[in-house]
Amino acid sequence: MKQQVIRLLLSGFLVLLAAGHALAQFDAAGTVTNEEGEPLIGVTVAVKGTNIGTTTDADGRFRVSVPGTSATLVFSYVGFSTVERPVTAASNQVDVMMTASSSVLEEVIVSGLATTVKRSNAANAVAQLDAKQLTGIVPPSTFDGAMQGKFPGVQITQNSGAPGGGINIRMRGITSINSATQPLFIIDGVYVDNSIIPPGLNVVSQAAARGSPRQFDQDNAVNRIADLDAGDFQSVEILKGPSAAAIYGARAAGGVVIVNTKRGSNWADAPQVRFSQSLGFQQILNPLGMRQWDTQKVADFYGSGSPEIQKFLDAQAAGKLYDYEMELYGNKGLISDSRLSVMGGNEKTAFYASGSHRSEEGIVLNTGYTKTALRLNIDHRLSQMIDLKLSSNYIRSSADRGYFNNDNTGTTMSIALSSTPPWAELHPLPDGSYPNNPYAPSNFLQTRDLITNNETVDRIIMGGTATVKIINTDVQSLRLQLQGGFDSYTLITRAIFPRELQFQKDGNGTNGASIQGSTPSFNNNQSAMLVHTYYTPKLTFRTQGGLTRESFSRNTIIITATQLIGSQTNVNQAGSISTFQFRSEQLDLGGFIQEEVNWDDKVIATLGVRADKSSNNSDPNELFWYPKASLALNLTRFTDNLGPFSTLKPRIAYGESSNFPPPNALFTNLSGVIIDGLAGSLVNNQRGNPDILPERQKELEVGVDMGFLDDRMVLEITNYRKVSEDLIFTAAVPPSSGYTSKIVNGGTLVNRGWEITLSADVMRTEDFNWFSSISWWRNRSEITELKVPAFVTSAFGATLGTFYIDTNRSATQIVGIGNPDDIQPGDLYVVYGDFEPDFQMSFYEDFRYKNWSLTFLLHWKKGGENINLTQLLTDLGGTSHDYDDITLDPAGVLGNGPYRISQLGVSAAPFVEDASYFRVREIGLFYTWTAAQMGKWSNNLVKSAQVGVSARNLLNFFTYNSYDPEVSNFTGNGLASGVEVNPYPSSKSFLVSLNVTF
Amino acid sequence: MKSQLKNIFLSAAWLLAVSALYPSCTIDEQVDLNAPSVDGIEANATVSELNNLVAGILSGQRNDLDIYLDDHGIIGRDFYRFSSADPRFTADIPGAGSAFLDNNTFYITRPWAACYQVIRNAWVLRHAVVNTSAPLTDEQRKGYLGFAKTIQALQMIWLSNLTHNNPDGCIRVDVEDPDNLGPLVTYDEALNYIAALLDEAYGDLNAAGSSFLFPLSTGFSSFNTPATFAQFNRALRARVAAYQQDWNGVLTSLSGSFINPAGSLTTGAYVSFSTASGDRPNSMYISLPNLPTNARVAVNSWVTDAEPGDLRLSKVAMRTEPAVSGPFSSNYDVAIWSSLDDDIAIIRNEELILLSAEAKIQLGDHMGGVADLNIIRSAAGLPAYSGSMDHESLINEMLKQRRYSLFGEGHRWVDMRRYNRLDQIQTDNPDEDVWPYFPIPASEG
Repeated sequence: MKQQVIRLLLSGFLVLLAAGHALAQFDAAGTVTNEEGEPLIGVTVAVKGTNIGTTTDADGRFRVSVPGTSATLVFSYVGFSTVERPVTAASNQVDVMMTASSSVLEEVIVSGLATTVKRSNAANAVAQLDAKQLTGIVPPSTFDGAMQGKFPGVQITQNSGAPGGGINIRMRGITSINSATQPLFIIDGVYVDNSIIPPGLNVVSQAAARGSPRQFDQDNAVNRIADLDAGDFQSVEILKGPSAAAIYGARAAGGVVIVNTKRGSNWADAPQVRFSQSLGFQQILNPLGMRQWDTQKVADFYGSGSPEIQKFLDAQAAGKLYDYEMELYGNKGLISDSRLSVMGGNEKTAFYASGSHRSEEGIVLNTGYTKTALRLNIDHRLSQMIDLKLSSNYIRSSADRGYFNNDNTGTTMSIALSSTPPWAELHPLPDGSYPNNPYAPSNFLQTRDLITNNETVDRIIMGGTATVKIINTDVQSLRLQLQGGFDSYTLITRAIFPRELQFQKDGNGTNGASIQGSTPSFNNNQSAMLVHTYYTPKLTFRTQGGLTRESFSRNTIIITATQLIGSQTNVNQAGSISTFQFRSEQLDLGGFIQEEVNWDDKVIATLGVRADKSSNNSDPNELFWYPKASLALNLTRFTDNLGPFSTLKPRIAYGESSNFPPPNALFTNLSGVIIDGLAGSLVNNQRGNPDILPERQKELEVGVDMGFLDDRMVLEITNYRKVSEDLIFTAAVPPSSGYTSKIVNGGTLVNRGWEITLSADVMRTEDFNWFSSISWWRNRSEITELKVPAFVTSAFGATLGTFYIDTNRSATQIVGIGNPDDIQPGDLYVVYGDFEPDFQMSFYEDFRYKNWSLTFLLHWKKGGENINLTQLLTDLGGTSHDYDDITLDPAGVLGNGPYRISQLGVSAAPFVEDASYFRVREIGLFYTWTAAQMGKWSNNLVKSAQVGVSARNLLNFFTYNSYDPEVSNFTGNGLASGVEVNPYPSSKSFLVSLNVTF
Repeated sequence: MKSQLKNIFLSAAWLLAVSALYPSCTIDEQVDLNAPSVDGIEANATVSELNNLVAGILSGQRNDLDIYLDDHGIIGRDFYRFSSADPRFTADIPGAGSAFLDNNTFYITRPWAACYQVIRNAWVLRHAVVNTSAPLTDEQRKGYLGFAKTIQALQMIWLSNLTHNNPDGCIRVDVEDPDNLGPLVTYDEALNYIAALLDEAYGDLNAAGSSFLFPLSTGFSSFNTPATFAQFNRALRARVAAYQQDWNGVLTSLSGSFINPAGSLTTGAYVSFSTASGDRPNSMYISLPNLPTNARVAVNSWVTDAEPGDLRLSKVAMRTEPAVSGPFSSNYDVAIWSSLDDDIAIIRNEELILLSAEAKIQLGDHMGGVADLNIIRSAAGLPAYSGSMDHESLINEMLKQRRYSLFGEGHRWVDMRRYNRLDQIQTDNPDEDVWPYFPIPASEG
């Protein structure tokens, strides 16, 4: 019986296979050229409605066997408009000229875990950048920096100016209040870790409460994604919300960033050797200046009989009033960026190899960043049926980040600076020792010169893909794609505070501290996917299904040695040692199935579902389901009479994804403590919740893509509504329970927004080209349901301004104490602002005139407030640059400094500030010599050469009263942005670059 | 064709097999990789785990004790706290200008949470002691319980000292079940509960045999047996009785305490600090001279109001130049503690003698009260009391001796409040406030 069934199934299959073999067939052939008549190599030529296709050879020629007596050939090539041509057995010679196009609708974007779709058929607004837009203007320091301002709907905020990066990414608003919803990064199919692993400076800074679970949030550590070398990236795609990312399931809540790196080729210009060298410097972006003191001001601040008056006069007479801001932040840091890449291959094998080295000095002496990266990508065709792809990447990076940000000991360089007047003498004495700073617990020049705060990473990322064409007939194909990869790194953090520091010696500290951390992290993922495509003349069906496995493990050990012996930094050489360990292990298993139906490029519909289970859930074997569905209509395919539209595509997409509970959310545990040598257990402040559910995001996206003038101008309009349910809060609980917070599923958050992009090939002539892409986006959030009492979070309490989670309010509103008349009925606090910008806008403009190119990216953030505590701390130290200006006091009496101090404890209004900015984020001017021009000088060795100048953050316009409105004292949760406490100031950089291709 | 078919068939079979196997791949239940869990300990703890909880309680008492003492020191105007890192020490707590106490700021939220965290740990210990299957004798069990309850009572004394007669309520006393907390009770109700809890603990300690099964920190080295720990319990009970104005109760409790008129005034129970590995240094200690950006400086009047020759003035150190922060200035650094390893007193003989004096004066035994006060005066290098013997004068004298004897240890504000004399606390500037109590932390709801 069983055998019969199998036989029956088998014969059904056979019929299916045989159906593809039409009786009549003919050969079509021809040549493909560009507008200049030069042959195009590697153009895809497909017979529409079938699985038949080929590519053009080195002379641009093709030959393809066409079933039946007539058909349509589709010619597509990256950077050119797609062309369709009819062929018949009678007229089977087709010569095609393709025209270059920058139209975004020609891009190919992901549509499933193993498939892609041309943007003109996509139902989602997926943002994509190519290498030129990503790294082509200014060679970026870190990958995170390369993305800023370039993706509509994405808010990327730098945490500080410290070398080595550190950012917060929000896609379509905040997705979670307490969890770190950073996007999932997938590079060549490998899930790449983006942890933030702090070095444990809290023992010196005391920035957070002792024993607080958030004690590491203020260490200003780097996101590990910063390690990656963006110079190797071919394209970056961002799936901003669940409607596009549902197929990534349980990890996709924060969006997905998909990176494809450069690969070799066996036809175009190969082999190709490319060398790039950039040199430049960076400097402080917005120095604030120092307060201009006079005798009266000294007397007012220090008291009329104070000896400070005489000290001030003496220093003034001796010309020894120092501009300490510029002494600390005034370094012009050298930047050098070198890169060599080789690509090439033959018919079977292609490779891309690159090596790069970057070093940069910070704007503070003894801070800086170096990175060395190697990459080897190999593609190999094992047989007609099997393709192999291997990607491998080694990175070593080292960041010296200094000692900045909030503290409770007054010892960070920036906080010590805030209370140091210009007549202080902090410079080293002739014997090399440093005088104590009488105005602060730390002599920041000594701190700068003697401390170490280094993060060093050794990282290997490798991935491989095998694609097996199991069936490949005229009408159908079945592909098996096996993928696997791992991301393994060891992070070594090393913070050394020698015992001769002012705040370590003489009982002021712990006689030195050596804080040594080590974190091995190993992630790996595997997947097996089957993609079946079935062609009929009008309909194409693509079915895919697969299984995925991801595992993650991390083990952080931090050893803190204090009471150091002499100048030793080895943790053995210390009188007191404490240790900290944090481990996490996670295993996720998932599966998915998806069906795409394409009716003649007129209607494209997708339906899919993913199921995931994870060891992070309370029941690790419970399956969570994530459905998705989408529909796109190409109206211009139905009729040619759509007026000005060359494309008119309404689209709609829905999807769900989720966000795991944070590690250890399930448990209430006890921390280890020591008293008098007795080991103790003390309950943690945070209660776990054994019934915790993952957060779930549901997003509906609707939009329309409009092309005009043969798609030379494209307008994309997208509206979305993203609902985050079962939000996980570390909700405040009555502390009389013995706990201060509990992990709960406590609310619902809705984000709504608009994204509009207008991109156009404005001019395209022989000598002059102008491509422009203008994006505008905004997001609004609202807490629609809250099962826990409204609570303050992610700042320093209502006195100084804080985020406040309350029903029917924006999730990012900023409130504080203040005039009772300003408090809305039923509220506790005055609402002073919202971190969410009113809108953001970016302008990417690319001009080419003959051999010149000018490219720039402008970024405008309108509105959105920060909590600026730098100015308050500087006021309290009496050193604010605007201390004596009278612009804030409504009575017009008090200087800004005294006024802000007078409001301390009365109103948080002066500390919440508009953080709008307009900046020229990137600008580059380049001159290129083509092969023809170079030929005579270089014996045809050089194919092209390019020189240019570029700058990052060249011009910045903001009224915000600090170094940069883009700042964050905290890292690690959804709301962690926009709170400023004496950060490492941001910088602007200038580079001269030379690129040569051989 | 045939081989292709075979390929298809093989692949399909392979995939089917994998798919079939896949759901049967189960993921193991997650265990906490980083720490023991409360549930596990409460259900069945080993003796060493019980002793870990005891050490956790002792250690937890140190959390934010510095903020508790700063709250008292600043509002009672023993000292001011200057901190460039946190302006609220010189704004909200002394009520400078129009600043006021917020209900969601560290000065109340942190000590409040820290005390209740210790109370919670003690509840975990109480539950664990009852549930454990470890072979404990009844006496040993009683030892743990007497310890846990006494420390819970101490934490509630600290808590109620902060919120006192706040009209929203003083503290929660019924906190055994974290999901089902009792109401905020009034100050008087809180004191009654604390007194009863101390008495219950006293009963346990009296039935706890001759030794504890657990070690205590060095700060309790005089109280590390059930009998001696009971003396510590009675000392706290005497303090509570004084707060309740139960003067006979004060004397009764003192008689069971470690009061010793002939002994060292510093004998008592302490919270231990140490710079040893993993331990906690004394965060009330700041090396001399204090920097104005990080200072704990005595209110000048504390020095100028003192009788000449008072040895207790050694608790401050004269500065070479005044420390100034905004409208505040002082010529004296607080020097009660001399190193990061110094312990901080919970209750000591000096306070007990002063409590004895106070109770006797209140009960009309003026001679007895003066005799006690003279022990204190003599130790401070002062002549015997020679002022008038009326009740009012003696109360003034008693409060003055407490001001100097217990400087910086968290008493002045409480004492002046007990005698409705907050308006007599001298401030540096006219626009300062002397708050009567702290707000209940916002998250108490």
